Amino acid sequence: MVSLEFFDPSGTVEVTQRHAPRLSSLEGKRIALLSSEQWQSFRTLPLLKSLLEADFPGVDVLPVDAFPQGQTVIGSESTSSLIKSSGVDAVIIGNAA
Amino acid sequence: MKNAVTGLGLPPEAALVTFPMDMFLPGSDLAPLRERKHEIYDGLTRWKPRYKQTAGANAMLRVEGADYEDALDKANDLLLTNLWGDGLPVRVPTRSRVDWILRGSPLPRTHVLGKLPSRGALVTVETCAIALAMAGGRPEYLPVLLAAVDAFLDPRSETEHLQPTSGGPIPVVIVNGPIARQIRLNSGFGCLGPDPRRPAGASIGRALRLLQQNVGGALPGNGTMATYGAMRYTNMIFAEDEEGLPEGWDSHAAERHGFSRGTNSISLLFVNGVANIKRCGARKETPEEDALQGMYRMADFMRTPNMSCLSGYENGAPGIMIITRVVARSMASLGWTKSSMREFLWEHSKIPRHLLSRAGGPAWIELESNPVTLASLNLDPWPITAAPENVVLVVAGGEHPTHSYWLQGYCPGVMGRQVAVPECFDELLASADRDLGCGADVCMI
Repeated sequence: MVSLEFFDPSGTVEVTQRHAPRLSSLEGKRIALLSSEQWQSFRTLPLLKSLLEADFPGVDVLPVDAFPQGQTVIGSESTSSLIKSSGVDAVIIGNAA
Repeated sequence: MKNAVTGLGLPPEAALVTFPMDMFLPGSDLAPLRERKHEIYDGLTRWKPRYKQTAGANAMLRVEGADYEDALDKANDLLLTNLWGDGLPVRVPTRSRVDWILRGSPLPRTHVLGKLPSRGALVTVETCAIALAMAGGRPEYLPVLLAAVDAFLDPRSETEHLQPTSGGPIPVVIVNGPIARQIRLNSGFGCLGPDPRRPAGASIGRALRLLQQNVGGALPGNGTMATYGAMRYTNMIFAEDEEGLPEGWDSHAAERHGFSRGTNSISLLFVNGVANIKRCGARKETPEEDALQGMYRMADFMRTPNMSCLSGYENGAPGIMIITRVVARSMASLGWTKSSMREFLWEHSKIPRHLLSRAGGPAWIELESNPVTLASLNLDPWPITAAPENVVLVVAGGEHPTHSYWLQGYCPGVMGRQVAVPECFDELLASADRDLGCGADVCMI
């Protein structure tokens, strides 16, 4: 028998932060929508807003235009600051952003 | 998606609810979203990650075979079944082979170049050597690969967007300086490969592609949504034909990056397509007519609403026009320079506004945040890039006047890097001469 030992070529991944904690419930929460304006997000995000509002009493889903929209701006530091200062409990980002 | 979260430093998992592509198309039925809303609610409330930390040294794998050939086959099969190959046979990255490749770097093997998007795994000098080993490379190629990877990781390259996009961008590395000839990189006939006498470009480009896939997670259909993926076995790595530059014409490295003649350097940018242009005249043109008709024909190929390139409208490149040394000499004899050619191509590749509007171009431009790009909406005709200087014009391709080549850009930025070679570089070149025979320009069998 001949054995060959060689490197795994996939490199290594560093985990530097954890996922945000999940909400205990959606009832009574404030939720932001952040739109890339692509892949029908102008339709899917408002639909998600209406579904959440129908299913969870007291939930406050901010309209899709409450924050800057577009793929090139939703990842910016300024948008991130706006989101944080708004005091929302969760953010839904889409689509494919 | 998993690439995206690991790229952010998050654990390699996410609360995913996946839908068929159809739902994301114009006029789609959104019923699946209604039907699966509870999965989304669960993702916001009940989902919990299960992960283990995976950072550390590159792991070792082991196979056994009845004989050496059988072991090689099993190693190739193992690499492929782990989705770490490209379908063609690879050289197995054993420790001895990787150590040999590492002679080509003045940097320590553990030196970290960065995190390769989208997956965000660490790229070290050793990781690059592993990829180059798999790609059939040699140690003298490593300096060019390391410089290319460093440019690739520059945030201005926007590879975090280019790696996963459906647009299929292809890295192009233009090499200037004596190292191109020294390591057998092609600048002449068939410079985009393959070429057994000048094999460096294929190996370096394949290594870069393997890094993009294995480390960056750019697997077709999930890590990269590149619809067609052309030229992705080897990317495009070639040298500018510096000896073919007419007197007074600067190299690409000097013009774009300010590197002086004789400096070993690379320039990395992305394109998403290639077009061969039959540039020369058909019958009895004068030299002046031949030149002018060819210039108009090249400009005509450039005049396209290439919305993929808007992110580089101000500072990137709309593409690379490659002309041969014969054409360069002919143009220079008529008084043309690289600069005046660029100016002409820019001016005559502008798109009349009504044609841009007919193709839906303004809506794409409005999505951009760059003020220069947005301001271009007021221009009629619309220039395909903000300034003539953005057009990359390179001399390569050998002693033939008929064709030019237009590599259509997908290029937020053009990144230049000097190439650092190790002290033992001359020894490596001497070894290459022993292994591969005499230099490519004099070796005829």
